[in-house]
Amino acid sequence: MGTILLKNIQNPNSTDIEEYKKTGGYTSLSKAIGMEPQQIIDEVKKAGLKGRGGAGFPVAMKWTFAAADPKFPKYLLCNADEGEPGTFKDRPILEKNPHILIEGMVISGYALKAEYGYIYLRGEYPAAKHILNKAIQQAYDNNLLGENILGKGITFHLAVHQGAGAYICGEETALIESLEGDRGQPRIKPPFPVNVGAFSKPTVVNNVETLSNLPYIIEVGGEAYASIGTPDCPGPKLYCVSGHVEKPGVYELPMGTKLKDIIYTHCGGIKGGKKLKAVIPGGISTPVLPPEKIDCPMDFVNMPKHGSMLGSGAVIVMDESVCLVKVCHRALKFFEHESCGKCTPCREGTGWLSAILGRIEQGHGAEEDIELLLSVAGNMLGKTFCPLGDGAAGVVQNFIKHFRPEFEEHIKAKKCTVYG
Amino acid sequence: MFTDASIKEIALIREKYPNSRAALLPALYVAQREFGQLSPEAYEAVADLLNVPKATARGVGTFYAMYKQKPMGRHLIQLCTNVSCMILGAEKLVDLLKNTYGLEPGGVSPDGRFSMVIMECIGACGTAPAMLVNDDFHENLTEKNLTEILGKYQ
Amino acid sequence: MKMITITVNGKEIKLEKAVTVLEAARSAGIKIPTLCYHEQLEKYGGCRLCLVEVEKMPRLQTACTLMVADGMVVRTETEQIADVRRGILEFLLINHPLDCPYCDKAGECDLQDLVEKYGPAKGRFKEKKRKVKESLADSAIVRNMERCIMCTRCVRMCEGKQGASAIAVIDRGGHSHIEPFSGGKFDCEYCGNCVSVCPVGAIMSRLHRHSYRSWQVKERHETVCPYCGVGCTVVAQVRDDVIMRVIPKLGSAVNNGMLCSRGRFGYEFVGSKERLATPLIKKNGMLAEATWEEAITLVAKKLSDIKAAFGSQAIAGIASPRCTNEDNYLFQKFMRAAVGTNNIDTTARTGFAGAQSFIENIFGQGATANIISGLANSDTVLVIGGDPTTINPILGLQIRACARRDGNVLTVGSIDGLRHFNPTKLLPKLQTEATLLEGIVAALREKKGLPGSNAALEAKIKDVTTSADEVIEKTGVTEAQLSAFVDLLARSATFSLVVGKDIVQSTGGSYKLLLLSAINYLANGRIYLLSEKANEQGALDMGSAPDILPGHRPVAYPEFRKKCENVWHAELSDKPGLNLFEMVDAAEQGSLKAVYVMGENPLCNIPNSGRVEAAFRKLDFLVVQDIFLTETAKLADVVLPALSWAEKDGTFTNMERRIQRVRKSVHREGMEDWKIIAEISKNMGYLMDYKGAEEVFHEAAKVSPLHRGLTYEDIEDGDNIYPYKGEPLRDAKEEIQVDRSARSASAGTLYLKIEKPLFHSGTMSTKAPALVNIYPQSVARVSAETAQALSLTEGDVVRVRTKTGSLALFVAIEKEGDSSSVKVGNNFEGKNAFRLTDCILDPVTKAPCLDSIELTIEKVTA
Repeated sequence: MGTILLKNIQNPNSTDIEEYKKTGGYTSLSKAIGMEPQQIIDEVKKAGLKGRGGAGFPVAMKWTFAAADPKFPKYLLCNADEGEPGTFKDRPILEKNPHILIEGMVISGYALKAEYGYIYLRGEYPAAKHILNKAIQQAYDNNLLGENILGKGITFHLAVHQGAGAYICGEETALIESLEGDRGQPRIKPPFPVNVGAFSKPTVVNNVETLSNLPYIIEVGGEAYASIGTPDCPGPKLYCVSGHVEKPGVYELPMGTKLKDIIYTHCGGIKGGKKLKAVIPGGISTPVLPPEKIDCPMDFVNMPKHGSMLGSGAVIVMDESVCLVKVCHRALKFFEHESCGKCTPCREGTGWLSAILGRIEQGHGAEEDIELLLSVAGNMLGKTFCPLGDGAAGVVQNFIKHFRPEFEEHIKAKKCTVYG
Repeated sequence: MFTDASIKEIALIREKYPNSRAALLPALYVAQREFGQLSPEAYEAVADLLNVPKATARGVGTFYAMYKQKPMGRHLIQLCTNVSCMILGAEKLVDLLKNTYGLEPGGVSPDGRFSMVIMECIGACGTAPAMLVNDDFHENLTEKNLTEILGKYQ
Repeated sequence: MKMITITVNGKEIKLEKAVTVLEAARSAGIKIPTLCYHEQLEKYGGCRLCLVEVEKMPRLQTACTLMVADGMVVRTETEQIADVRRGILEFLLINHPLDCPYCDKAGECDLQDLVEKYGPAKGRFKEKKRKVKESLADSAIVRNMERCIMCTRCVRMCEGKQGASAIAVIDRGGHSHIEPFSGGKFDCEYCGNCVSVCPVGAIMSRLHRHSYRSWQVKERHETVCPYCGVGCTVVAQVRDDVIMRVIPKLGSAVNNGMLCSRGRFGYEFVGSKERLATPLIKKNGMLAEATWEEAITLVAKKLSDIKAAFGSQAIAGIASPRCTNEDNYLFQKFMRAAVGTNNIDTTARTGFAGAQSFIENIFGQGATANIISGLANSDTVLVIGGDPTTINPILGLQIRACARRDGNVLTVGSIDGLRHFNPTKLLPKLQTEATLLEGIVAALREKKGLPGSNAALEAKIKDVTTSADEVIEKTGVTEAQLSAFVDLLARSATFSLVVGKDIVQSTGGSYKLLLLSAINYLANGRIYLLSEKANEQGALDMGSAPDILPGHRPVAYPEFRKKCENVWHAELSDKPGLNLFEMVDAAEQGSLKAVYVMGENPLCNIPNSGRVEAAFRKLDFLVVQDIFLTETAKLADVVLPALSWAEKDGTFTNMERRIQRVRKSVHREGMEDWKIIAEISKNMGYLMDYKGAEEVFHEAAKVSPLHRGLTYEDIEDGDNIYPYKGEPLRDAKEEIQVDRSARSASAGTLYLKIEKPLFHSGTMSTKAPALVNIYPQSVARVSAETAQALSLTEGDVVRVRTKTGSLALFVAIEKEGDSSSVKVGNNFEGKNAFRLTDCILDPVTKAPCLDSIELTIEKVTA
């Protein structure tokens, strides 16, 4: 496949526009501006591009809704909030290949007839802020952003809007609220952002990685793009692997690469030759898998068939030394910290689950606590305002589903039996 | 009251948005820098400048973990202890910070040099454990190199 | 029209337009439990209690947010839903304290009711509960965040409907809590609308804390607020003849469930220990208790004696814009039929009366009788002469609502209560308003042309030729600002003009009213005249004026006098009587010998208090009928205690000219104002015999062509909008006259500005402890700039001096604020602004010019 999204990032000057242009950067933009906006959307449809943030929504469909709305101006928002624990795949694009994102955004903005773009960048990436701002200025200086892009009378303005530490702002309507200067609480849908989004105007929110695919799609055409990956989920995918592997990091591989292969072929297997205990395949909100279930293609369509989800493609590998009760507790502490507080089940439930797990972890668990955990999680699942609550409930349910004996032992022994 | 420089900075920021309210998050960052924290004074300054009710400004400011509502040390340590960092030893680093600098999570060291907050995944999972000190990323932390790294921040 | 059909629990529901599933179910009588939903507030979808099953939708849906679609099938009472509801309530209860035994909300608590119906029987939570202490930091509102269920109705009310944005959710997730900016005291508009919508005992009024249980105040006495001219419906709830609390009524005509600080927290004056209990007669310079018989006999005798010795014209009556229509009607009847004089007036004379007759002279009677809620639907509202959000707060809310709907709010001057609503402001230099208004009239006329329906007004408009350049030069407003302003006026399709007293009570006020009328005419709008007292309009409509008979008919017209004479069986004088200010003049000169004051405090409410006091001291006989021993009452020869607003029946007419029922909610021994008058009249030989207020109104309706045939039943049925079943006055208008006096302002001079605070109305509110706790005393309010220039700090004592008088006051500093003025309120007896003002009148409107009063201010040391 060759690197597409992370092309040239070994070059220490990869963030410079001249370096980017040297390897063909911004030629796709020239080509795109020569096309009709609808043609671009058609290519994206042929490419079968699905959102890379975690939801996997067909990009062309989202764009079609927004393009059809009569209201102007339209907004294109890049979701660079990358907050899902385990996820660090957008960071190399933001910090080492910013121009691919900028080029992707201008192409997308043109296709959508959107005049304004914002990169909603998480507050935890201060280096990326400076790099992006510099790259954006370079783009303006080179007439690739602004009022008269490439002299063709096309307008697209881009600016960075920095978040301030709220995972929930990765949810598209909460992101929009945060952009508008409000608390990052998700909005009632419908109306959907494609019709009523930022400042009440049609808005498309796409992930960093998603938008960064645009230059390549324009370069080779949708059909050729779709030859990478799987028929249901084409294209390259950035998988980020962390935890107990020999070579953690970001790997650009075809969509649908098997989880087993990612861990053992690309990442060198379990660190120190230890035994694999559990894998979280797509970020903390995706169902944890036991070792016997990792022979699954990592894409949006196949993962659900194997009992989990692709999510952001953030693989967390845990070996035999890890106490899963502790991991489960830490995950719930995360959800408790990040719950926005809007809806009852998540606001109260994440705290309750976290407290029970903490108690179990400290050795004060009771036998009925496991059923209680499942009951509370069950009262959350499907009842919350947004998927954060589902994620939290799902963690508890899936950890207990696959690793119940460890929980029971921990309770009975009144301490962690993994550490001995 | 904001300095003239801050007022100018916020005015430039404001131009990027269709209305004043949208400049609130970036303006709060400017206020935090100038006042050292988002004190009532800081909130009032932002509220007046952007013509936003001050209770609203405070409601927004307190929602986000990276706005500080109390005084910070000279250098802010933002250490991640989420799953990937935790299973690679981040908690030992928390203990180390306590024992070496007298730093509790959410607190300030007695000499005012450092404050420390626990982070929820800063996107450095592949190079865990990791932390931000002010705007600098520090990855692949060990009990050995942590104090060396922090030595640069006086 | 295509109907939308949905099925809920097997029941088919047909709808004309798309609503939420919740609203559809409710319309069919199907109850779905809710907590965060409130019909006046933006939907939230947060509590999750209204989750229902919808066929073909994979997840449960919140009924309060989901819009119906044709063919939708909904189930609300399945076993799964019951489980869900139990689960949600369990979540709410894990941190909610078991305070029911002493929580004031018990018995009317939504959570309590829901748990009883749908909730879990047992708690499974073994962890640490959230503990938050009750906050008594605020004097009027008590906060108990432990009980808060984060429904955020209070925040959505404060931000989205009231527009004060004083409270917000702080922090997030399980740490979320709601508080005002300070974390303790609210320092807000104290409307208490947050209290109305809190479903649990988290935010409550402090006035009745732990003083009753909700089932002890089940009685609802629906009446009209006694404070300002909006006339909000309020419900008084009583226990043992003491008002425990005042609450709003959702769906009520004028205020639809909203209240302001005065209506909500200002009722305690009714039960004040300072209330007058017995009549008082002055003996040896001291007021001593007397019997009713003694007092009434004395009054009747003295008035008869003075009438015999000096003639009817030596007696005057001051009626009240706080008393009911019935009180006012009988008072003016007494003065005209029994005493034989037209010397009757009220403090409506200080601005409202003159402004209204000026405007009606141009546009016809009823020109200002416009429905308040219409302001929210205007596309453009121009506000001048006062802050509606403090004078008529509920009217102010409509202007905020207009802004929220993307309407244009234009202001001349800076209006504090509208500053967060994107107003388009013009800030002309001091004393240049007339020039500015001229410029607007000229420019607007050029843009829109003359409508051709008012020749007299158009003739005046044609005389206005002020150019934009002149405006820019004299007023300091820029060309861009002026043309943007005029553009908005020109483009308006539904224009409203809101006029406050400040512009009326200014030099050349009548001229400015002409210019404003011209703007209203050219923009095809309607005028709202702010009214500070509850029955200011009603007092005038009942004839409490020297030149007006009941029905707002001129005394000068023989046919109207005849009508009254026929019903009253007495001959009426055709001489217009003395107005309020002429009464003071006459008392000063010695030609006025006796004054009967009902429900008014002239020493405080007529400009130049010192002069009024001196004049009243000269009177041979002063009778004051009131509920408190006011400054004026202390000078009286006889003081008669009246029943207050809460203790009697009657009607008020609000600024919309809507008539509403005032209903008795508390029993107290004594007599209503009208009853006392009837007794005195009887004693003077002119029989007045009415069984109740309704009978008095019945007669007024006979006499007044405007109120013809109107009954209490009509009023209660809602048949109470001007012009009711009667006739407004239609007659040849008088020539439009104006006074074009102008003053110039000198830079560096400080001027007095009368403050109209939100928390006070007249002096009556200063007897309500809750309001006094919020705003305790008269202050000299200066801008931060002025304070710095004069080295003043908050709390310093200063002496404010004008050529008329001086007052020692505490200093209050406001961040923004106009540096050319010092604001002093007129609410606290003895420390009121009218002690500092003279009383020069606009010759046309007869309103006092209170705009150019120079003052000096200096710190009082030691």
